[in-house]
Amino acid sequence: MKAQALILAGYGLNCEEETRHAFETVGVAGKIIHINDLSENPNALDEVQILAVPGGFSYGDDTGSGNAFAQKMKLGLWEKLQTFVARDTLTIGICNGCQILTNLGLLPPKGHDYGERLVAVTYNLTARYGCRWVDVQAQAANTSPWLKGISRMRIPVAHGEGRFMMDEVVLQDLQQSGQIALEYIAPDGQPANGQFPYNPNGSMADIAGVTDPSGRVLALMPHPERGMFTWQRDDYMELKDRARRNGTPLPEHSDGLHIFANAARYFGV
Amino acid sequence: MAHRIEILAHPQDGRALQIQAMLARGGRKASVQVLDVYTIDGVDNPAVLESLAQALHNPVTQKAHIIPPQPALKNVFTYALEIGFLPGVTDNVGHTVQELLSLLSAPQAQAYSSRLYLISGDVKESDITTLSHQLANPLINRIHVKSAAQFQNDGGMDMVVPKVVLNNRGAVADEVDLGGSDAELKKLGQDGIPNADGTRRGPLGLSLLYVQAIRDYFKKKGRAPRDIEIEMLAQSWSEHCKHTIFASPIDAIKDGIYRHYIKRATNEIRARRGDKDFCVSVFSDNAGGIIFDENWLITDKVETHNSPSALDPFGGAITGIVGVNRDCLGFGQGAKPVMNRYGFCLADPRKQVDYYRDAARTQPILQPRTIMDGVIAGVNHGGNCSGIPTPQGFVYFDERYVGKPLVFAGTIGLIPRIINGKPGHEKSARAGDLIVMVGGRVGRDGIHGATFSSVALDEGSPATAVQIGDPITQKKFSDAIVKELRDKGWYSAITDNGAGGLSSSVGEMAQGSGGFVVDLDKVPLKYPGMSPWEIWISESQERMTLAVPPEHADKLIAHLAKRGSEATVIGTFTDSGHAVVQWQGETILDLDLDFIHDGVPKTPLTTTYAPQLENEPDLKTPSDYAPLLNTLLARPNIASKEFIAVQYDHEVQGGAVLKPLQGPGRVYANATITKPVLTSPRGVVLSQGLCPRMSDIDTYAMAANALDMAVRNAVAAGVDYDHLALLDNFCWCSSDEPERLGQLKRAAQAIYDLAVFYGTPFISGKDSMFNDFKGYDATGKPIKISAPPTVLISSIGVIPHVDQAISLAPKEVGDIVYLIGVTKDELGAGEYYDMHNVTGRNAPVVDAALNHKIYRQYSRAARDYLIASALGVDYGGLGAALAKKAIAGQRGLDIDLSGLDLPADKAMFSESAGRILVTVAPAHRKAFEKMFKGLPTLMLGHVAYSNKLNIKNILQADIQKLDEAYKGTFKDY
Repeated sequence: MKAQALILAGYGLNCEEETRHAFETVGVAGKIIHINDLSENPNALDEVQILAVPGGFSYGDDTGSGNAFAQKMKLGLWEKLQTFVARDTLTIGICNGCQILTNLGLLPPKGHDYGERLVAVTYNLTARYGCRWVDVQAQAANTSPWLKGISRMRIPVAHGEGRFMMDEVVLQDLQQSGQIALEYIAPDGQPANGQFPYNPNGSMADIAGVTDPSGRVLALMPHPERGMFTWQRDDYMELKDRARRNGTPLPEHSDGLHIFANAARYFGV
Repeated sequence: MAHRIEILAHPQDGRALQIQAMLARGGRKASVQVLDVYTIDGVDNPAVLESLAQALHNPVTQKAHIIPPQPALKNVFTYALEIGFLPGVTDNVGHTVQELLSLLSAPQAQAYSSRLYLISGDVKESDITTLSHQLANPLINRIHVKSAAQFQNDGGMDMVVPKVVLNNRGAVADEVDLGGSDAELKKLGQDGIPNADGTRRGPLGLSLLYVQAIRDYFKKKGRAPRDIEIEMLAQSWSEHCKHTIFASPIDAIKDGIYRHYIKRATNEIRARRGDKDFCVSVFSDNAGGIIFDENWLITDKVETHNSPSALDPFGGAITGIVGVNRDCLGFGQGAKPVMNRYGFCLADPRKQVDYYRDAARTQPILQPRTIMDGVIAGVNHGGNCSGIPTPQGFVYFDERYVGKPLVFAGTIGLIPRIINGKPGHEKSARAGDLIVMVGGRVGRDGIHGATFSSVALDEGSPATAVQIGDPITQKKFSDAIVKELRDKGWYSAITDNGAGGLSSSVGEMAQGSGGFVVDLDKVPLKYPGMSPWEIWISESQERMTLAVPPEHADKLIAHLAKRGSEATVIGTFTDSGHAVVQWQGETILDLDLDFIHDGVPKTPLTTTYAPQLENEPDLKTPSDYAPLLNTLLARPNIASKEFIAVQYDHEVQGGAVLKPLQGPGRVYANATITKPVLTSPRGVVLSQGLCPRMSDIDTYAMAANALDMAVRNAVAAGVDYDHLALLDNFCWCSSDEPERLGQLKRAAQAIYDLAVFYGTPFISGKDSMFNDFKGYDATGKPIKISAPPTVLISSIGVIPHVDQAISLAPKEVGDIVYLIGVTKDELGAGEYYDMHNVTGRNAPVVDAALNHKIYRQYSRAARDYLIASALGVDYGGLGAALAKKAIAGQRGLDIDLSGLDLPADKAMFSESAGRILVTVAPAHRKAFEKMFKGLPTLMLGHVAYSNKLNIKNILQADIQKLDEAYKGTFKDY
């Protein structure tokens, strides 16, 4: 089967090209579409299986990261979006895309409706933008198609507002319904327990990503598209040196690509 | 009427915690609440305000209030501090709220942002004042402080609408009388055109000679000039635009420094390379362009933004980086920005200074820490918001940058070699093309420092000439132009609006067609009431000028509108030979294009050179090297700048390969590699070099060492030595003094000599000639502090495959450590001498012939994967380089320096040029030694299975201790 991904652009989103490259690497046709073009022709969503809201700095993070862009989508596309996520489709929001999806309320705990904003992604505890590589652990209880077969990933974060916050009750609901997707961990595999820099933003319960109740909508702060090839890794210099000494080939792909490969697999590509 | 929408953040908000920490550093225990405030003018419908309040807050972490009415305060606080913008200052958040208002069907409303801090605890009003100075800049911000009692009494904070109101509506172009005496003409050139009330419009920067040339031109024309004509000539002939010092005859050099040294070096190198020449577009466009591969060119440009950054560090730096992004967009038919670089020359941020701009000592200069925080934050916001990775940069400290920091910002671009069958780097406006201005609107921003009156509800604070960049406005048209419009072929030329605004961009583009007519009434303005000359030279940011064939104009403008960008036809390019500007149906500017571009009188320069040299010091032999090395590593020029690297997104666009922090020990590197095309194995290698303090000995050494450092670092990382180009930035001081010009000539001679030897062409450059601070010290005594003559050389090259990249961190225990290059008694103006407050005399002499051989051979060794790690030896010499390698690898090194035949202190801290410290796997030992046969390489030791840097007979140091010293200086920045 063929699958198509629509990747949003405009108003300061800026990771659309590498996100498209990620999808194309796994055989999914990626089309970049400006939000104004999509608002003008919302039926474009009917023709695709995947919607990606990539990273960036929509509206310069003014009024809270992802907020203004989410308001724009809500005012122009809300019904169409609800139809889209209700179909057997996949949606991913990466970094700024994650902030946009949470502001849209597309990640409600089980039992709540799409559109209810119960999860916030807000200012890092350091109150400063940080770009660094982190280790994240996919949660076994989460059955999202995006995470199939993934346990640990080493991929980078780059954000000033990546701290998941919510009511304790909401957190428990998300945990119980297996909607926590990714958690920051220390290099030894133990929970980060809020410790900087392993948990880079002070996120509640070390949360790095969540899914909706169906698991088909994934919102995550780290950037899998920046860690999909081995040459992108922060330890690439060490890995390639060791491979050359040992005479072993270096794998072309790295952890982040699995997320996109899972999307392709879901649609039988 | 106006309303305030206040959004209260949750108590554990990261911003609130940081402010609590700032207060705690001043010994105050307080808790802080943060409120984002949006003042909305022109919305009376409560439903719209309610919807907006809903849209502006996240109910999970925030609460919203619409005022009036002022809600009863649940939490008691001690002081309220509100910080907003002065009228006319770019308010990006306000713009975004205005867009939301448009979506809510209230497009006419105005929105202004501010932030309110409610501070409770053990604080006095003076603490709040101190805090406000840390958080706000009075040049651009309005600051309001209220005690809890005042707050209660007034029923909350004041309703402030910082709207610009100009009182000269219907302004016209005035005629200017140039019939006066030379003294009057001189005054006009210095202080500006007089207004009717006797005040002046601000400095024109025209010498008497230039004003006389203008007078004579209009005498011939038989009419008096208008203000706009003089203002345009002042812009076009400015040092900033014409580089008069670099262009003027100097001593016996008739063709001037630029042609004689810099351009000639490139011409000679290109001729020698013949069909291996990789330069494509040099010195003629907004950036320089070289071949990347068979399909693409890469471009590079490094700008300085020094004076604005001294006054408003954040605004100066952000307009610097966002401005140089536009140079990239304005290269050829439009290059896509793919990397940024930064560089800051600053005073030590740990020191307090006490200098003033005025004799009455009411205007203190900004503290070094304030300047440092501001310029770093400016590049952070500008680069990160624009989605351009910022992998490469540096910070260099010297106390003489205290009044005039140097702020460098560079952008690397990517453009197809062929677009629609035509070379991508070529463009030319044609007669008949429409002049289209794209992007932000025009205000009074940045009009030669002029201030303007304005009326706000807070008693009419003066608005400002300082600019703040708006990266999102620019990102919108940048994407539309580079990713959509360019390849449609709808415009014939493009350039950016920088210094001189429309007068420069249109004037420059008209050289292609041969003239223009502009109708100034059509230029979209931020607010009404501007005079025509102001519109013409305004430096409002985020604007490009395009030459568009009439048949494409409507669809181009419509397409940009769909991308949220405004584009407007403001005139037509002609072939009349005239620059013509109209205003309300009248021609107010009519100048011969030739006069604008070639009418500037030549002013021959003469130089002197009489160096006053110190003797070499006779320093005591150190008794214990381990603590000494720690002190050296902690020096600001050597210490880790990790805190900058991590706050600049270097991973966006997905191409970062060799990153700014290297090895498990995360050492701040002096070279990085990024892939601009994800599907190509090639990478772009970036580095730079500068040695400002060596100017105290000899500017020839200063410039030669800067160039060698830029080349050496790139070579060490694995660049193809035959595919490496350079950019020059001269930041000089007192360039009206023959002695300084003598130093300048020597520096230019040095980079000519070395570049030609290495075969590394200059492709772009920029100079800034007056980096002097003239002010007063704490006693009111006049002082002048001149920045040391500084040449920054930036290098850009191509590595054929990124798997050949070499990081600085040692990889395996047992690898052999070699030093390539010669170490001499050359500590002059180095870090070790500076630590002892001496300059010395032995500045490193660059051995061009030897280094050329080393770099060529090293490049071959890198192709053969013979080198496991490498670091160009720079500040702090071998001692610093060995320590950095040990820290980066988090592995010990067993080293013996006795083979250098120098006393221990010289061996450890000499800053001799041309040296690369490498590690080599034992399996490659033979091949490596064969490769470098006949060249100076010395085996120094091994990578050890230990946690110590062990230098025989000199020191034994714990890596942990070195690590702490190296990272401690800026740990809390």
